[in-house]
Order: sequence, then C-alpha cells, then structure tokens
Amino acid sequence: MTFIDFINFHIVPGVVLGSIYAVGAIGITMVFGILRFAHLAHGDLATMGAFIALSTMGLFGASPWVGLPVAMIFAAAIAVGIDKTFYDYLRDRPKILTVMASLGVALMLRSVVQVVWGVDSTTYQRGIVRPDEYFGILLRDRELYTLLAVATIVIGLEAFLRKSKWGKAMRAMSDNPDLARLSGVDNRHVTMLTWAIVGALCAAAGFLLGLNNELNSMMGWHLLLPMFAAAILGGVGRVEGALLGGLIVGIAEELSVLILPGQYKAATAFVILLLILLVRPRGLLNGKVL
Amino acid sequence: MSALLSMQAVRGGYGDADILQGVSITVAPREIVVIVGPNGAGKSTAMKAVFGLLHVRGGQILFDGDDITGWAPNRIVKRGVCYVPQVDNVFREMTVHENFEMGAFLRKGDLDAAYDRVYGLFPDLRAKRKALAGDLSGGQRQMVAMGRALMLDPKLLLLDEPTAGLSPKYMEQIFTITRDVRDSGVSIMLVEQHAKQALAFCDRGYVLATGANRHEGTGAALLADREVAQMFLGG
Repeated sequence: MTFIDFINFHIVPGVVLGSIYAVGAIGITMVFGILRFAHLAHGDLATMGAFIALSTMGLFGASPWVGLPVAMIFAAAIAVGIDKTFYDYLRDRPKILTVMASLGVALMLRSVVQVVWGVDSTTYQRGIVRPDEYFGILLRDRELYTLLAVATIVIGLEAFLRKSKWGKAMRAMSDNPDLARLSGVDNRHVTMLTWAIVGALCAAAGFLLGLNNELNSMMGWHLLLPMFAAAILGGVGRVEGALLGGLIVGIAEELSVLILPGQYKAATAFVILLLILLVRPRGLLNGKVL
Repeated sequence: MSALLSMQAVRGGYGDADILQGVSITVAPREIVVIVGPNGAGKSTAMKAVFGLLHVRGGQILFDGDDITGWAPNRIVKRGVCYVPQVDNVFREMTVHENFEMGAFLRKGDLDAAYDRVYGLFPDLRAKRKALAGDLSGGQRQMVAMGRALMLDPKLLLLDEPTAGLSPKYMEQIFTITRDVRDSGVSIMLVEQHAKQALAFCDRGYVLATGANRHEGTGAALLADREVAQMFLGG
C-alpha cells in the first residue's frame, strides 16, 4: 500500500467519521460542562434529527442539505422540550437520576423514530458516487461538504461562546456556576440555550452520519460510545477538546482494521475510553474531573 | 450619619441550627467595616446573611432604605450589594477582561467608564487583561475577583477574607486598594483572619464570638482593648 492509498483508505474516512463524532461530542461535553451530567439520549436525538431531515427532503424533493437546518431547528426545540418535561424536575436531585432519566428519554425517542419512520435502513441518496481527486486525495462531494459543514458549525459555535454575551454566560456557568449566579446569570436561560444548541448539534451529527452512511433507528445509539469517548478524551467541558477527541477516535477506528478484524472497529472507542480514564482522566486538554 | 447597611439582632444559619445568635452590624456610606473573631465565630456567616445566602430566622437587615431580609441573592445584587467569596471567586478559564464582563452581566449600556475605573484601581491587570484568571498569582486573582464585583458599581462590597493565603506584600496591597475603593464611594464590609492588620486599616470593627457581637468600635480602639487583644491577637 502506498502512502497516498493509506491516506485515501484510512485517514480520509477517519477524518470524515471523526468530524461527525466531534459534532456529537461537542454537545456531550457542553451538557457535561454546563449541566453536569452524562446525557444518554444524545445518540437517539441524533437519530431523530437525521430522520427529520429525511422527511424534510421528501417534502421538498430537494437536496438532503435542505433538511439539515430544518432538522437542527426541530431537534433544538425537542431538546428544550425534553428538558422542560423531564430533566427540569430532577434539577435539585442527585445527577445520577437525570442520567437515568436520559436513558429513558433515549428509549422513548428511539421508539418514536421506529413508529414514525420504521425500523428499516434507508439512505438520503441512492446510487454510487465516485470520488473526485484533489491533489491525489480522493474525496466524495458529500465528504467534502461534511467537512465544510463541521468546520462551519465549530467556528460558529466558538465565535458564539467567545464573543457573545450569552455565550460567555454559558462558559461562566461551566467554569464556576456559583459565581455565575452571583454575577446575576439566570441559570434557566443558560440551561435552555444549552439545550437548544445541543439539540441542533445532535441533529447535525445524525444528518451527517446518515449522509455518509445510512439511516436506521439504531444509528444514534451506536454513535453514543464513540461520542462519549471523544468528549472524555478531549477533556470534559472543552469544545476544542471534543473536536480533537472526535478526530482521534474516528481515525483510530478506521486504522483499527489494519490490525483487527473489521467487526472490532466499534470496540476501538471503548479501548480509547478505558485508556484515557486510566491514564489521564482529565482528558488531553485538562477538562473537568468526572 | 445614617447607615447604609444595618443588621439588627440577626439570627439564622444554613440548616436548622442557628449559627448567628443575634448579630448587629451597621455600615455607613464610605466606610470600611471589618469583622474579626476566632474561628467559628460566625464572621463569614454574618456576611452571607447580608447577601441572602442564609436562612434568617430573626432580626432584620436594612439596606439603603429597603428591608432586604430574605431577599434572593440576585435581587440583592441588583439593589447594589456585591459579594466576593473567599474561594473560587474568579472564572479561571476566562480572561481577566471576560471576568470583568461577567461582573457587568446585569448592566446595560456603555461600560467604558466601569472598565476604566476597575483598570484604574488595578493597573497591574491592564497588561494581563487577555490572560486567563486561573493563571494569575493569588494576589492578582483576588484583584480580579474584586474588580468583577465592582463592575456592577455596587454601593456596598462584601469581601470574605480577601487576604487569605496571600503574602504580606499582597495583603498590604489589597488593603491599600480596598481604601481606594472606599474613596471612590463604595462602602466595604470585610471579614478577616489577620485581625491585627485588618483593625489597623479599617474605619470601624466588630469582634464576633460564638455567633454574637462581643466588641465594637474604631479599629484603633479595638486594638487598644485588652480583652480583644487577649482574645485572639496573641496577648
């Protein structure tokens, strides 16, 4: 295998997959950092987002990309609704109750997806797409657009968190919740805003996974482990860490087939998660201690 | 002179037990009042009572003409009282300037004057405005914490042991800055472990013991009091 083949067959798919993980992991790390619990419904919310995009596409009969913003808006509203309906009641109770509640929410969301869209696999677009060559690197259009979409989302989110008043309030709440409250930051507003953003990120992750792979009702559930591995690898509460962690997990999964049978690809994330918890539990970029 | 803050026979605690057994403290406009006392005397607790962090079960807290007893902290902040906790009092992963921005979170309009005032009080921080607060020295971090609180332009600033763990050099600096803050028109209530130094620099002081007033007077008078000296100033 030549070097360029190595890039094309392992690194490129790894980066594409990793960037999708990253979008999901950013949401997980934000929930962890600001609301301080592990959100197990994250994957199934992504599934729902992917299917909302599918229906939107069917409605307008246009490119699947039309579905992305619609799915993001819907998933944001769903996430806020879930918080108001379930998590909000558990706010002052031990966080493990919210974690368990989110598992229940995950099952509910998946069931809704299965009732509305069925259990069969489907795709946004049929047919084989031939990749184009860019300086020897083979990229399909959808892969190129996936990377561009992820870059846009990450840059936009970073700009929001660094420059806007409420973005700073979210960072403050993640950094020192007591002091944020002393400064007059309204916890409820930050919580709502966080869920809106996290919901939108979920939908984006689900859509991009569906675009590059296929859609089925379990797709998000299977996304959960690599997303958590990525978030913890990067350091809990760190957006840039989640991005880095996502890319590492994605690339590691694609490289694992060099030494392991393909069926073990999914176990790679698990190994990474175990290793990072053993060796460096704060993550690569010094996140919060879990 | 009418008092800005007046705590009258305040009783209360965090849970069911009363830590404060009747504390009365007044702070006049442009005055530095220090609360000292042995460990467990209820110094910090008395301060938290002002800021609404305590279940007050008896007595009254009046501030600038309002009865603020039982108000929630965010309402008290809006009324013009800012509180600097003893620990975890900065946003460590945010820059110095962002800490000040967060301090002014509730303020609308032009903040240039507020920034000028804070950087004027803490000139060292101007050069460090883009540094993360968590990377600063303990003394500078304390300045960031005070600056954050001053961004809201409070009438009363509550400082909980601002010199804890600081070197003598920084302790002097914090006291000097506290005087500058007072001279800019803010009243200050301050809890201190370093009783001797604090009484020497304050306008008036209160000595608390077991949750109640023991002595009060000007700093100089308290320093000269033999009983106060015996209590905890080391004879």
